[in-house]
Amino acid sequence: MSSKLPTTLLRRPSALPSTTTYTAYSASRPTPSSPCTQQVRNATFVPRHRRPYQFTQLVQLSDGSTFTVRTTMPTALYKSAKDTRNHLLWQPSDKSLKNVETDEAGKLAAFRERYGRGYDLEAKMTPEEEAAIAAAVAAAGKKATAAELEAAKKKAEEEAKAAKAAEEEDPFDSLTDLISGYATPNMNPGLNVKDTRSFGRKK
Amino acid sequence: MATSLRGVSRSARALQPFSSTQFASVRRCASTQAPGSGATPAAASKNIPDLAELETRSALEAPLPSAEDKKDFRPWKRAADRKARLPSSRYQYHPPKYNRGPLHPIQSPPSSDPIARDFVPGPFNMPRLKETFRTNLASDLMTLAYIHIPPGTPKKEPTERLRSWEGDSPYFANRARRAPRGAPELPIRERDITFRNIPEIKEITVSTFVPAGLKDPNVLIVARAVLLAMTGSVPEMTKSKNSVVQWQLQANKTAGCKTTIYGNAAWEFLDRMIHLVFPRIKDWKGVKGSTGDGSGNVQFGLNPEDVQLFPEVECNYDMYPAKMIPGCHIAIKTTATSDRQAKLLLQGLGIPFYST
Repeated sequence: MSSKLPTTLLRRPSALPSTTTYTAYSASRPTPSSPCTQQVRNATFVPRHRRPYQFTQLVQLSDGSTFTVRTTMPTALYKSAKDTRNHLLWQPSDKSLKNVETDEAGKLAAFRERYGRGYDLEAKMTPEEEAAIAAAVAAAGKKATAAELEAAKKKAEEEAKAAKAAEEEDPFDSLTDLISGYATPNMNPGLNVKDTRSFGRKK
Repeated sequence: MATSLRGVSRSARALQPFSSTQFASVRRCASTQAPGSGATPAAASKNIPDLAELETRSALEAPLPSAEDKKDFRPWKRAADRKARLPSSRYQYHPPKYNRGPLHPIQSPPSSDPIARDFVPGPFNMPRLKETFRTNLASDLMTLAYIHIPPGTPKKEPTERLRSWEGDSPYFANRARRAPRGAPELPIRERDITFRNIPEIKEITVSTFVPAGLKDPNVLIVARAVLLAMTGSVPEMTKSKNSVVQWQLQANKTAGCKTTIYGNAAWEFLDRMIHLVFPRIKDWKGVKGSTGDGSGNVQFGLNPEDVQLFPEVECNYDMYPAKMIPGCHIAIKTTATSDRQAKLLLQGLGIPFYST
């Protein structure tokens, strides 16, 4: 009698169906004449995972630190030349990554001694240099009066202030200075090209 | 003496020198004290009769195989002449291909069993970024986002975002509230970061759309190979949604692929991208700060030149045909519930964001 009860469980396939169970089955559930509307899933496929072969790789960053990763590349050791350890964006306090000129051989200094700082991208003049400019201007044409010099000085100061304010306003804009530096105004006002060349020279 | 030795440590016992009686009874080196070599051979062999059975000749002095022996030794010939395959050495169990329910007599082994069909080996390492997150970043995020609520503060009721029905109709009473204006679904509400709600990386989806694949199927193959190498999971091909006549786009044609990686694979992909790929992109400012879908997921794109900076693509760069490496879109899904929390997490992990 219990075999007549409906069940939600999966039907157990029997190799040798006895006549009694067969009659019970046919009695409880008549053979469907129309195609069944509800999906019956008696088996779920167990897929094998498709994955590429992965190697264990040792990665060495530019500062020498190493760690292992699982990767599809077969190289056993990956040494990186440029990564976050030596990039200015991730190491903003590292002075060695900043665009600072190194002049161990003194070539740049010799160049400046000969041709002045007019070719520099971001020339910052020391007070002695400014005095030297004033003297050179006075010696060169004797046209530039003291008032003109004062005006030029004031203008330069204002420009420096504005540049400083802009820098404080946008700390990420320091790289664009490299590009805009090509349009640097003449740092030696009142001097022509010849005087600019000869101005820094030792007498 | 034995009782006194019990008290001292094992190393101390090992350091104890051999007593003279022990040394006399045990022969330690058979070759130097072999019969005929010197002192008291007969007495020694009498003491330990097993040593008399040792062969006096070395095994290395055995004669080498002759030329005929070498000629006759052809195992490959024997294997080739064999008509039938050898039976396997033992009974081999194969797990069933189908799961047939919990009451079926044949059951699949659990997926942790190495013989199971859905077994995936691993993990083989602890992802570095994951470890960083767990040891440093999680507590930092929690501290950063801490909001002190003095005890006794009355709990704030969240504002009702569903609109009520306004009007004189008697049918409005007890009717379900209306959806917000302009949006069919309510956006997710931001939850505070607490000790049990720290945002974490959930999954990363890498997708690429290559409409050139409609003309040249090789482009699709290359795109699939690149994504497979980058992520380490097999991508699935995607179809175009719309047809745009001007761009020669046809709807419902295969025109891209995508793949999603979870867990450790996602952490490692993120680690490689942040620390090895991003610093090598030329003039890269970072990810745009306005990214995000409003519910804690962050998306950005990479150009073809950036994709080929991935070490996996770079090491086999010659394998891919010229100008066929695609760009891709990367969607990082986190458990954060708002964009700012997600960006806080990703900033901590090392992704720079810039605001225009």
